[in-house]
Amino acid sequence: MTTKKQEKTWIHYYFKSTSGVVGAVLVLLMMIISICAAFGWTTHDPLAQNPMDALQGPSSTYWFGTDQFGRDVFSRAMDGMRRSMTVSIVAVGIAGFIGVSLGVLGGFLGKWLDGFVVRLSDVIFAFPAILLALAIVNSLGNSWIDTSLAIAIVYTPIFIRVARGPVLTIKELDYVKSVRVLGFSSPRILMSHVLPNVLAPILVQIALSMSWAILTESGLSFLGLGTQPPDASLGLMVSEAQPMAAFAWWTLVAPSAFITLVVVGLNLVGDGLRDSLDPARRQS
Amino acid sequence: MRLAKTSGIAARLLSVFITLFGISVFIFIVLRVIPGDTITGSLGIETGVLTPEQIDDLKRYYGIDKPLLLQYFSWITSFLGGDLGFAYSTGVSVLTLTASSLPVTIELALFGTISGVIMGIAIGMFSAKKPGSARDFFGQLFGLLALAIPGFVLSTAIVTIMANKFGYFPNGYEYMTPWEDLWMNLQQMLFPSIVLGIAVAAPVMRTTRSALLETVDKDFIRTAFGKGLKNRTVQFRHVLRNSLIPIVTMTGIQFGYLLGGAVIVEKIFALPGMGRQILDAINKREYATVQSSVMIFAILFVTINLVTDIIYRRIDPRIK
Amino acid sequence: MISKKRFLVGGVALALIAGTLVSTPAKAASSELVIGSVLDIDKLDPHTSTNFATVRALGLVYSSLVEVGPGNKLKTGLASSWSFNAAGTQLRLVLREGVKFHDGSTFDAADAKASLERILDTKTGAAGRANLLTITSIVASGRTLTLNLSVPNVPILAALDGVNMAMLSSDDITAGKVGGSNKPNGTGPYKYVSWEPTQSVKFVSNPGYWMGAPKITNLTIRVIPNESSILSAMNAGTIQFGIVTDPLIAKQISTKSLKLFKVPALAYYALQLNTKVAPFNDKNVRLAIQCSIDRPEMIKTAMLGEGAVSGPITSPAYKSDPNARPCPKVDIAKAKEYLAAAGKSSGVTFKALVTSNGWATSVAMAQNLKAQLARAGITMDLDIVDQATYVPRWLGADFVATLANNGGRIDPDTMYTRYFTSTGNLNKVATYSSATLDANFLKGKSSGKTAIRTAAYTAISKELEDNAVWVWLATPYEYRVATKELKGFVALATGSLLPLRSASLG
Repeated sequence: MTTKKQEKTWIHYYFKSTSGVVGAVLVLLMMIISICAAFGWTTHDPLAQNPMDALQGPSSTYWFGTDQFGRDVFSRAMDGMRRSMTVSIVAVGIAGFIGVSLGVLGGFLGKWLDGFVVRLSDVIFAFPAILLALAIVNSLGNSWIDTSLAIAIVYTPIFIRVARGPVLTIKELDYVKSVRVLGFSSPRILMSHVLPNVLAPILVQIALSMSWAILTESGLSFLGLGTQPPDASLGLMVSEAQPMAAFAWWTLVAPSAFITLVVVGLNLVGDGLRDSLDPARRQS
Repeated sequence: MRLAKTSGIAARLLSVFITLFGISVFIFIVLRVIPGDTITGSLGIETGVLTPEQIDDLKRYYGIDKPLLLQYFSWITSFLGGDLGFAYSTGVSVLTLTASSLPVTIELALFGTISGVIMGIAIGMFSAKKPGSARDFFGQLFGLLALAIPGFVLSTAIVTIMANKFGYFPNGYEYMTPWEDLWMNLQQMLFPSIVLGIAVAAPVMRTTRSALLETVDKDFIRTAFGKGLKNRTVQFRHVLRNSLIPIVTMTGIQFGYLLGGAVIVEKIFALPGMGRQILDAINKREYATVQSSVMIFAILFVTINLVTDIIYRRIDPRIK
Repeated sequence: MISKKRFLVGGVALALIAGTLVSTPAKAASSELVIGSVLDIDKLDPHTSTNFATVRALGLVYSSLVEVGPGNKLKTGLASSWSFNAAGTQLRLVLREGVKFHDGSTFDAADAKASLERILDTKTGAAGRANLLTITSIVASGRTLTLNLSVPNVPILAALDGVNMAMLSSDDITAGKVGGSNKPNGTGPYKYVSWEPTQSVKFVSNPGYWMGAPKITNLTIRVIPNESSILSAMNAGTIQFGIVTDPLIAKQISTKSLKLFKVPALAYYALQLNTKVAPFNDKNVRLAIQCSIDRPEMIKTAMLGEGAVSGPITSPAYKSDPNARPCPKVDIAKAKEYLAAAGKSSGVTFKALVTSNGWATSVAMAQNLKAQLARAGITMDLDIVDQATYVPRWLGADFVATLANNGGRIDPDTMYTRYFTSTGNLNKVATYSSATLDANFLKGKSSGKTAIRTAAYTAISKELEDNAVWVWLATPYEYRVATKELKGFVALATGSLLPLRSASLG
């Protein structure tokens, strides 16, 4: 159960997987775009309205044209990428941290804690995401943090599930049982034996959930519950552009392209991780 | 052994009841936390022309004048007795409303799952034929691209193109249940099911592909080839059957997601399902409708979970 | 090599598409009209209906004493003539002869009296009650209805129009058979047939209608909860009439295949300011806002040009002159002067309450206004909430500023007394009143002479604009889309579907 040697090999396998490499490139590209937007390195100010130039097609000044307020679509899409990425990272970060903790602890310690964790997971699972988002947005406010929180709560159950499953199996393995009998402390067992084996599916789930989070945010924006204007998220841009698509196609294409690239990228990364972390799947 | 099994079932049922109880409390509280009530939800800004006495009268009419705890118990006891409450803005009981909307959502989720499984298996098989090839890559890419387009964009695009270019929009006619007009119903379900199915298709495609690739190497497959069985037959009979199990268990979870995720599709394709019912009731702050509808959903969901769990446990005996 | 599976799938798809050509329901008989609406109705009681869809639908079934016709003029309805006494304290209406309810009973003054009394009864919770409060007594005799008023109140005549003033049968009222699940029984051109909640409302023509039986015999209002889908349904021919409110959708309507009816609405958009709290308790700050706003730009960007700049009063006979304000055009320099006068040269920041789904362009308008105000150094932060959350906050004046879409009426009295008189039931929301406003509203209410009323309402408009109580922005259009086969339909600013009674298909 050596970890260092394993780490080296899984990265090695990761780069042998086409999906993994392509995905990593795409995600890296989107990260760079997000960082540029964060520093304000965009072609125009994403918020500046130039009504004189409203609804113009792509040109050398406005690479992807302008929207109904004369805002540069490309710059806005870059900023939207940053915001969607931020929401995704924060939401999945929170969901992952809480979900995995609960799943691992519940699965390992069992009894009433496990029962509570499973029940909590079921309650959230069965709850309509929209209602949750509405409740949070109305009681806490509607900044991007609140949207992230709403998505985080909805995604927590799946992390609980993904973490808990392997833990239940590992718990029953002979060598783990014997190590417990020998009196090794639970935290130590968790850290050195349980977590490394749970890590693989969790990493894959993180990549997948991040891609879903961006789509969920866009669905919430369609219903008026996501990022609030005039800030841009890719989902909000797509939902605003959709009724104008017939006569201003560029307003829809730019954010849709960005969403596609990042969602496809994250999914490919997930595939690559799955292929490289699961010994059975590795291609030589 | 028998004793262990029955106590196991009893424990599971108890767990289900506790979960449902938790949901009922959760939903009740969440609704009261959101600003606005049934009066402002139904009258809008015209509420301002009412006198305080009129508002009191309305509060009594809607049952929101009593203390919260009493409201909760009054609702939950009625619910358990089969009275789901009254949906004021529709003039019928929540039970009547749900009796017509729930089948729509279930049918949609079912067709969505089926179409997703079919699409996923088809693309998975297409890709697995020649692993690592361009065909494989593009097959997977296609599946992912479909996933990456937000549902409401895809739905609106389908509706617009079909209606404007082909004059075809079955959802523009009155909704028909399968017993009223099966053909029309199937047409009205077709595109919404495909849109919902895409989310299901992606993981199914992945699982199919990897399962096919794994099993193809196994000895018993080689033997089958040796016996002279055709490639296609081998695939279907042996490989797919083995891969179907994880697909089915995963489908159970997806089905649950679809029940909740159908709102947008129901809106754009004008399907009178539960998703829309809950969303509209939330917008009008019709408490009984939201609470009872969510409970029905939850009961369905928990049941599906239970069934899926039982299947999962029977396959994997390692889990107690 | 096409795999068997793919072939099968392709074959099924083709069969389905081919099948539709076969199974499309028989082309609607030329006397059937299906109307697409995003909203469903929410009740069957006309006196308590406030939802636009309900008012539109029940307006086909019920009639009122007077009607608003094309050109926004008051017309005869169930009353064929009327007159005020010299003092203006008594209104006498002569009711139309030969009008029958859908159940066959005759309509007379006793029914009218019972209907008005029902509206006045606080137990009903009628939306129009406040407009009838000056009535002290009602006398019904045969076909004559006499309203005795406590004070001269000329606008009460215009207030008698609409679904909220529907004439019901006195028998129905006594038996308590109005609203709830009771079948609507009115005198309108169409009889109510059925309501399938969330799906459709159906009507059939009333052969005994006093204007003659409508040519279109069957009407259905079908719920299609998405305007883009309504347009698609029209293009595919599955519905023949559509109610559209989003200018972005209206812009996509091809006039080659469809008819677009566009009429300026009576409703108006305004940035309501709370004059009781900072920073808007200072008139100079309010004027600074008024001067920083470029209304044509807002219309161009947020409404795609589909709107007109407006002043407070949109009632056609007394319409405010949009140029009669301190800053008819955007004037950033002047705005900055006002800010300096208020001691806020460094800028002002405030939060504006905005609804995300109250109407199609709410958020777009807020975004553009925000950008415009920024040019004058004013920061407007957007507090965007859903409509059901917006309403209680609006009612409680729980805002510093709010972007509102308020309804208009053909008479300024019914339009604004609720807001800007000190006793108006929405004065709390308007946050402003004055002795001069009260006096002018009274003047407008009591006189029957157009000249005096015009003077009063011009004065009111001037006071509201000079004090920048609210910032009045623009009026939108009411859109109706129809198949080219629809003839004889006129669109009304009130959004009423009543003109369908004289329309025909093909």
